[in-house]
Amino acid sequence: MVAQFLGLKLRLLANTFRRSPLQVFGIVVGLLYAIGATGFTVAGFASLRRVEPVLAGDITVAVGSAIVLGFLLVPLALGADNSLDPRSFSLFGIPANRLAAVLALAGLVGLPSLAIAAVAIAQVVTWARDPLSVIIALFSAVLIFATCLLAARVSSSVASLLLATRRARELTTLIMLVVLVLLAPAIALLASVDWDRGGLDALKSVADVAGWTPIGAAWSAPAEAASGNAGGAVLKLLIAAATAGLLWVAWRALVGWLLVAPQRRERASNYVGLGWFGRLPDSPVGAIAARSITYWIRDARYHTTLLAVPVAPLLFVVVLAVAGVSVSVLALLPVPVMCLFLAWSMHNDVASDSSAVWLHLASNTSGWADRLGRMVPALVIGIPLIAIGSPIAAAISGDDGVLPSLIGVSSSLLLAGLGLSSVVSARFPYPSVRPGDSPYAQPQASGTGAGLIQSLTFFAAIALSAPALWFAVQGLLHPGVTSWSTFSLLVGLGMGLVLLALGVLWGGRIYSRRSPELLAFTLRH
Amino acid sequence: MLVVSDLVKRFADTVAVNHVSLRVPAGTMFGIVGPNGAGKTTTLSMVTGLLRPDEGSILVHGADVWMDPAAAKRAMGVLPDRLRLFDRLTGSQLLYYAGTLRGLDARTVKQRSTDLAVAFGLEDALGRLVSDYSAGMTKKIALACAMIHSPRLLVLDEPFESVDPVSAANITTILQRYVAAGGTVVLSSHSMDLIQRICDLVAIVVSGEVLTTGTMEDVRGGGSLEERFLELAGGRKTAEGMEWLHSFSD
Repeated sequence: MVAQFLGLKLRLLANTFRRSPLQVFGIVVGLLYAIGATGFTVAGFASLRRVEPVLAGDITVAVGSAIVLGFLLVPLALGADNSLDPRSFSLFGIPANRLAAVLALAGLVGLPSLAIAAVAIAQVVTWARDPLSVIIALFSAVLIFATCLLAARVSSSVASLLLATRRARELTTLIMLVVLVLLAPAIALLASVDWDRGGLDALKSVADVAGWTPIGAAWSAPAEAASGNAGGAVLKLLIAAATAGLLWVAWRALVGWLLVAPQRRERASNYVGLGWFGRLPDSPVGAIAARSITYWIRDARYHTTLLAVPVAPLLFVVVLAVAGVSVSVLALLPVPVMCLFLAWSMHNDVASDSSAVWLHLASNTSGWADRLGRMVPALVIGIPLIAIGSPIAAAISGDDGVLPSLIGVSSSLLLAGLGLSSVVSARFPYPSVRPGDSPYAQPQASGTGAGLIQSLTFFAAIALSAPALWFAVQGLLHPGVTSWSTFSLLVGLGMGLVLLALGVLWGGRIYSRRSPELLAFTLRH
Repeated sequence: MLVVSDLVKRFADTVAVNHVSLRVPAGTMFGIVGPNGAGKTTTLSMVTGLLRPDEGSILVHGADVWMDPAAAKRAMGVLPDRLRLFDRLTGSQLLYYAGTLRGLDARTVKQRSTDLAVAFGLEDALGRLVSDYSAGMTKKIALACAMIHSPRLLVLDEPFESVDPVSAANITTILQRYVAAGGTVVLSSHSMDLIQRICDLVAIVVSGEVLTTGTMEDVRGGGSLEERFLELAGGRKTAEGMEWLHSFSD
């Protein structure tokens, strides 16, 4: 049976390459990156052999603990690949003990296992100083390998349990938002640490604590031995062995439980009334707008967009701030960047409806009504954003003269971008995440050129706003001359409105003509 | 009145629908039966304007579905098979959406939604998300969406699949009364008994071709529809060489 499971895992691994060329390219890039990172770590650990034991220990413990944490947390965060979910084998009647062992062994086949094996062996090289250290390091290597392997299995299964329901998957979106928002100050904080002086102290205090915890004990044991503290080394080995043992018990229990536990069902909640449908006009445009707004609120796939809109400029500003750009310039960025992302996010809207779009087709909904209705949520968010955000941004930058050009550029990016998205989503749909899937899941099928369409649309949206941008830049370069800023406002608003109208009409014509092909497209993907 | 003439659809090198012609007079219930993969769904998708045919024409009360879609689609209510719904809407929102896209005003939609919910036994489910519905309930809400604009022709692909017997009986009554009032129904199903019981006209489709069509009595001849169907469709295999199945492994 072991051979069959290893074969299955190998087959699954090989099948990751049986995808479109673009995806395979992505996988290869990721692979090279992983191999590079592993190689770098292995070489680093090997070269630590010549470093005095205390410092070498601090480094291996800190890095090693981070690796173990990665094996524990990454599957939880990404709901990672769980192709060998114990549940899938429940109908074969394999005893739970045996299944747990075989599935853990099947986990041996895979890049993460190869990488951690290489690093665990490199760690032995670090401590190849005296016989006792080598023996302890060998024990550690085995324990590290087993811990990482089991940790990944346990946390993948826990993730698949926790993320079984749609609402739980949607909740992860919110958690990701919080993490991303917290990450920005953390990056800024890390950048501010004086690595030359404070760095080693920080490393030491991290390693001292982590060395006694389950994630760092195995890494720390040979360091203790090399420093002459044999008792500490044995104690830490015991902690590490207990960790691996507990993980095995947890894994065994999870397998046993998953084999008999039913899939989690979620409670259906009741909504009263028509919601947005009752608040908007009873015309096709009104209904499509209400449907879009409802989806933006209820569908996790739209939440990722809503998440990217504020986070993207935040990261942008943090990076530029670290690079030393002044606040007066930084303050001008967030509003236009948010408008750009908001408009751009609409460029594959039809594909996210999937085959449900048949209803529009069967009702002979006119193209322009479909296009216009779908834009409403972006406009509902974008217009107040410009109206409220621009004066605030201008006030922060300390130059009230930039307000007209800020409004001009932002409106142009929003309106012209929406016009462009309206055409692109009707003419060039590409596979999107299916309704109900995790927003971080890969689309089930991939077409050619999704990345090309994404980037072309993005840059075209900026290019369409080039006139307003040019006037705005002139205004910044010539403070004092207010007419540049006024021009930017007029050109931005004017061109934005015209391009929006053109986009709705042209996109609408394409949509009307091509709607059977659009439906066929959603059915293929 | 639905007239389908010489409909052809090819996918790559397979011909899914091969010169299918059907005539459905107004005020009749027309059943399409056929084995899996016979081209029933493909045919109905082309009839409803969801899939562009390679050849042929479809007239709904005189309006060509692909030349004059506005008139043809207004007269038609559609229940497709295996297409998604906008399932993040609640039942009442989905009904409202379907009605409004068909040009009904809010008052009419609300009143008809209530009637449809009672008729299909969905009163308690209207406030829940369609994604939380069972398969049968999803079928029923989709059927209600197809009827909300009171079309002259209903094209229903597998309307009884996974619907419970009580609901199926209710739906049958609704359809029979609709036909008695002059409406036209075209439906496909795997249930021969049901088709035989409720349809006036029937077509047997195998491998993309209409093998026989006509009134139920003519097609059945002396026997039941199922017997006639099995005779025409072929593919009945005697279960030889499966004796191991009766030797139970433990």
